[in-house]
Amino acid sequence: MFITFALITLLGALGMLLQKNVVVAGLCMVAAFFGVAGLFVLLANPVAAALQIIVYTGAIMVLVLFVIMMLSSHQEESAAVSHPVQRWLSVALLAVLAFGAVKLVFASPGVKTLAVKGAAMPQAMTLQTVGTNLFADHLLGFEVAGLVLLAAMIGAVALTKRNL
Amino acid sequence: MDKLASLLHTSPAIAWMVAKLVIVFGGVFSLAALWTWVERRGAAMIQDRIGPNRAALFGKIKIIGLAQPLADGIKFFFKEDLVPNDANKGLFWLAPFLALVPALMGFAVIPFGRSFVSGGHEYHMALLDPGNGMGLLYPLAIGGMAVYGVLVAAWSSNNKWAILGGMRSSATMVSYEIGMSLAVVTIFMTAGGYDPSEVIKAQGHLPWAWNIVRQPLGFIVFFTCMFAETNRLPFDFAEGESEIVAGFNTEYGSMKFSLLALSEYCHLMTASALIATLYFGGWQVPFMQNPPVMLSVASFLVKMLFFAWVFVWIRWTLPRFRYDQLMHLGWKAMLPMSMVNLVFHAWRMSQGH
Repeated sequence: MFITFALITLLGALGMLLQKNVVVAGLCMVAAFFGVAGLFVLLANPVAAALQIIVYTGAIMVLVLFVIMMLSSHQEESAAVSHPVQRWLSVALLAVLAFGAVKLVFASPGVKTLAVKGAAMPQAMTLQTVGTNLFADHLLGFEVAGLVLLAAMIGAVALTKRNL
Repeated sequence: MDKLASLLHTSPAIAWMVAKLVIVFGGVFSLAALWTWVERRGAAMIQDRIGPNRAALFGKIKIIGLAQPLADGIKFFFKEDLVPNDANKGLFWLAPFLALVPALMGFAVIPFGRSFVSGGHEYHMALLDPGNGMGLLYPLAIGGMAVYGVLVAAWSSNNKWAILGGMRSSATMVSYEIGMSLAVVTIFMTAGGYDPSEVIKAQGHLPWAWNIVRQPLGFIVFFTCMFAETNRLPFDFAEGESEIVAGFNTEYGSMKFSLLALSEYCHLMTASALIATLYFGGWQVPFMQNPPVMLSVASFLVKMLFFAWVFVWIRWTLPRFRYDQLMHLGWKAMLPMSMVNLVFHAWRMSQGH
């Protein structure tokens, strides 16, 4: 199961990068997010999986819509002139980032709980636990995020509607 | 159940899982096919016509035209399968599946009957057992995926009418999803859980304790949003025959069109099942504490098919909205109503009701 979802995620992400057509690339991204949602289910966190699908794939749809509206999306984009310096720089940056990410994952205490089997296994996440955690332990972060989103929304309205 | 499983050389759990798969997917699919006939007969009834009554098995058995879906299916299979020259071929083929799969999957979490115990095992009447952690977030997530079928079909056809239909319908779905979700959140709040079995249990067996009586405002919002989500009249902007030829499925023919059409009816079934579960007590039988299993299934089916009929009824009664009216209704009527509903019930709960 893990291999299946991991493959869906990776192939989706690869497809998104290699695809010349913007709309098809967006759909590949949807596939990648689906794979991630499946991985969340395997990690006993179905709430995160559901939210992943609702929030992220919904957001991509809006992205695809904008692409259709603003670009002539049936034409494939011709490749830009490549700069070898940029390419090598990006590969090096990617290697450093990947190394850091892997190190961070292995150092986190969450890895040890993955080895736990039987009755000691943690319960699957429910919406109630998410809610309690959010409002009891992370209330400040939650409120700040809400405020930032509200500001972004008002900013978007102000920018697009010049004469209100 | 145990005996049946041992006859098939499997464990009861697996046998029941397979049976559920067949019941849910086969049931929804065949009901959807049947509903194409119900729609045509219903339309004829409302418009004082006769409707399809000629199709007959072996040229003899007519049963009021019930063989019509079968004949339609055969006809669709033998039609020429056209793909427009400038279409994006791969996506053009993919789109009917993208439309159909979410439509069928949405039903998986809805309990269609009371859980029963047989031979020491408990059997649940829902494809995903209660306590799976997804609960009613699952149909919301899958319902959101449905728009991709329409959008991909519209874009890949490379046709102006198709893209107009697709854009309209995706805009509708995005704007109505908010009001719908807030209505569902209110139910989560009052039920104290988000698993459909918990929502049904919280409603009980007395009809005046069902959510339709407790949250009439939420019901109106959810019901309206379901029409927008299923792309049915009065909100069928994806098709809009009189304005944009046939909208997103203009270029589709033969079995591919059939799949697109069927997915709409599968959506209709899932939507009616959701309405029955959320607002009409699901499988609960009025005034019966612990109904027999078959009676609970029958009760659920009656509620679901009633709402499926309401979808047909409204389609042939109301005219189509204009696009700006639809957006006006969605953002300026449904969303505030939904918020009022949420705040009112939150206030009531804070008062200790």
